[in-house]
Amino acid sequence: MSDERVNIVQGEFAVGDKPEVVIQTLLGSCVAVCAFDPVAGVGGMNHFLLPGDSGSKGVDYTVRHGAYLMELLINGILKRGADRKRLNAKIFGGANTVKGIGEPIGQKNIDFARRYLGAEMIPIVSESVGGSVGRRLKFWPASGRAQQAYIAPPKEEFTLPYQKVGNAKAGEIELF
Amino acid sequence: MTFARHLKVLVVDDTTVSRMLVCDGLWSFGVKDVLIAQDGDQALKMLMQTPCHLVISDYNMPKMNGIELLKAVRAYAPTKNTGFILVTGKGDKALIDEGRKYGLNNFLLKPFTNDGLRNCLEKVVGKLT
Repeated sequence: MSDERVNIVQGEFAVGDKPEVVIQTLLGSCVAVCAFDPVAGVGGMNHFLLPGDSGSKGVDYTVRHGAYLMELLINGILKRGADRKRLNAKIFGGANTVKGIGEPIGQKNIDFARRYLGAEMIPIVSESVGGSVGRRLKFWPASGRAQQAYIAPPKEEFTLPYQKVGNAKAGEIELF
Repeated sequence: MTFARHLKVLVVDDTTVSRMLVCDGLWSFGVKDVLIAQDGDQALKMLMQTPCHLVISDYNMPKMNGIELLKAVRAYAPTKNTGFILVTGKGDKALIDEGRKYGLNNFLLKPFTNDGLRNCLEKVVGKLT
């Protein structure tokens, strides 16, 4: 069965419940949250970048913006028949692709995703975040399977938050 | 006691973070008598036991959306005049018109600021101070 590909860009989200649907995106400092219900076989992915400067809107505007994007994803999945109590999440991205310019945006996005999912009690079952290179991400929402490839081989080592399984070399596709 | 401290508000949203953001905003301008419901059913049960001046409800909720909750609130005699603000990410005319048909008092677009929440609320209940 050939894949039905759905591409999303920053600020977008997609949900699906068919086995052939795969959601794709490219990530730099942005973060993608993949959420799925393994029993109902439905899931979705978003792609967000928190505003770097909230300006006169107040420092919590970035949180409100991010919360809205997360809510769209989760409610979209729930409307397809998922049960909130069964939701799991995987997070990707948040690379520090532009060094030396102010606060690392990637880390802000990662921290937001972790805090949000923690507050909503949605467990993060796997993640690939940080580093200095972009990622190409595919997510099959019906199964919760994710596949990632680095866009360029990492020039330097970075520490993954969890112990890697297997001996994948930099640049090769990794399954999460 | 300021008017804000007299106000009893019910916040309805199925997402924890979203409820926190509304409550945080309300607290920031002195509205501290706040009840919380996670969905429309719970909101209706709470309103039957505890009369509130105002309901601030998310539109996009899975089981009963904000408009459906509004209809139910207006259909129940003790709450037919309770203030109702709908919080929504989309402010399209069709949604607002439907809300007005059922007695919606105001709507608030996401993502909102605390000042935006206050302005929206004051248009319904009057100045808070």
